Amino acid sequence: MPTLAMPRPVIDLREVSLCYRLAKQKIPSFKEYALHWMRGALTYEQLWALREVNLRVDRGESLGIVGRNGAGKSTLLKVISSVLPPTRGKALVHGRVAPMLELGTGFDFELTGQENIFLNALLLGHPKREIEQRFDRIVDFSGLGDFIRTPIRNYSSGMLSRLAFSVLTAWTPDILVLDESLAVGDVHFVKKCEERIGELQAHGTTLLLVSHMAEAVRVHCRRCIWLESGCLRADGRPDEVLDIYEESSAVAVEADPGEATISA
Amino acid sequence: MKRLYEHSDLVWYLVLRDLRVRYRRSTIGLVWTLLQPLIMMLVLYVVFSNVFRFQLYRYPVYALAGILFWNFFQQSIVASMNSLRGNAAILQKLPVPKAVFPVATVISGVVNLCLALVPLLAILVATGQPLQPALLFLPVSILLAALFTLGAGLLLSPLAVFFSDVVELVGVVMMLLMYLTPIFYPMAIVPEQYRWMVRYNPIRSVLEVFRDPIYYGKIPPLPHVAVTVVISLVALAIGALAFRRNSDRIPFYI
Repeated sequence: MPTLAMPRPVIDLREVSLCYRLAKQKIPSFKEYALHWMRGALTYEQLWALREVNLRVDRGESLGIVGRNGAGKSTLLKVISSVLPPTRGKALVHGRVAPMLELGTGFDFELTGQENIFLNALLLGHPKREIEQRFDRIVDFSGLGDFIRTPIRNYSSGMLSRLAFSVLTAWTPDILVLDESLAVGDVHFVKKCEERIGELQAHGTTLLLVSHMAEAVRVHCRRCIWLESGCLRADGRPDEVLDIYEESSAVAVEADPGEATISA
Repeated sequence: MKRLYEHSDLVWYLVLRDLRVRYRRSTIGLVWTLLQPLIMMLVLYVVFSNVFRFQLYRYPVYALAGILFWNFFQQSIVASMNSLRGNAAILQKLPVPKAVFPVATVISGVVNLCLALVPLLAILVATGQPLQPALLFLPVSILLAALFTLGAGLLLSPLAVFFSDVVELVGVVMMLLMYLTPIFYPMAIVPEQYRWMVRYNPIRSVLEVFRDPIYYGKIPPLPHVAVTVVISLVALAIGALAFRRNSDRIPFYI
């Protein structure tokens, strides 16, 4: 399957823009929609969450994504996981994206850990047969022992993230998306996770790490991008990008937290 | 369609989960599925034979078959509408084919309907009716009802994401439709000038294809079955097309 000629990027975003169209009037109901529509008074506010983002990521790269809240990080990830189609531009993603979900997403709290392994892996798109094959390994890696047979509503957040990570990494995804939710595990498990991530990378998995903590990006990534108001502001080595990112945040906070515009 | 097929394991698991949540956690779930239509039937029987004073041959069977059908139809549609909103977090993060949720909902509705048929058949036997071979036609009837219901569910579930009042709106429309469908009254009591409204109600066709084998012990007339097949397929096609058109917009609004 992998061709040696001309490495094809796993992620290739070309001039990707994404617009959330927000109705100016609050229209939570069909009744109001119909009324506004009849009056011809439907106007929309456009909120561009991504603006002409160009990004090429190759197989096996590790990319950190930094930026303030609302800078477009999650939207970028949603475009990469093909949840949201770009409004303009082209998003080419080759291979399977495995996102680490927020605690509890893709789980059913009434079901046991065992049942949730199936539910979660099926939601991630794996067939039942493959889950059965990997089931023991998932349970083993999670280290949850007998808790695996109890409903997960009794789990702590650390236990939930163990289960989620174990399911997620039982397969070798082409693109692994991680965020801070891993940090809730204990030291021992975090170390185990890091080893597993290393193994996956050795198999060619591309790592995307979204983090507010610069430290994590510095340690795990060899490339970093900085998003600001939907624009790609910087792309390069983590040291360089993080330096200007942190500098700009400091300046912005000092100057005016309400209206922070940074001249690059 | 292809992606839905690839995720068939997921659909089955969602169905199982639905049933598990309904039946494993409490025996009340099962008792309720079986008992609720029976209670409803008793109420109708008392009301119609004493208040409205009309007599219909074996009315309990007539009414119960109608109630089971309507429960399936209405509950599946409401549950379909809630299924997308209930899985909002997943739909925002994972590229699952969104139709798996309404599809799984309707399938578990079919399982509930089949369970609820058991007491109905018991009543048939208890009232001295031998079980007719026509009952073997029921799987076809149920399949048609399921396709029709799925069509409605696929049409309405994205709307419920876009507008929060659609669920209530649909509730009102369903109430109206229920009275326009001969569920607990016979066609004969509808005044002549209004009868067309009931006659051209497509849900009536689907209902009768389901009820005829139970109530009359006969396979419904072939032209009637053919019309119902067309109605169900058209409903499904409209629903599937509407769902596909709206599908991409769902994560933006959920």
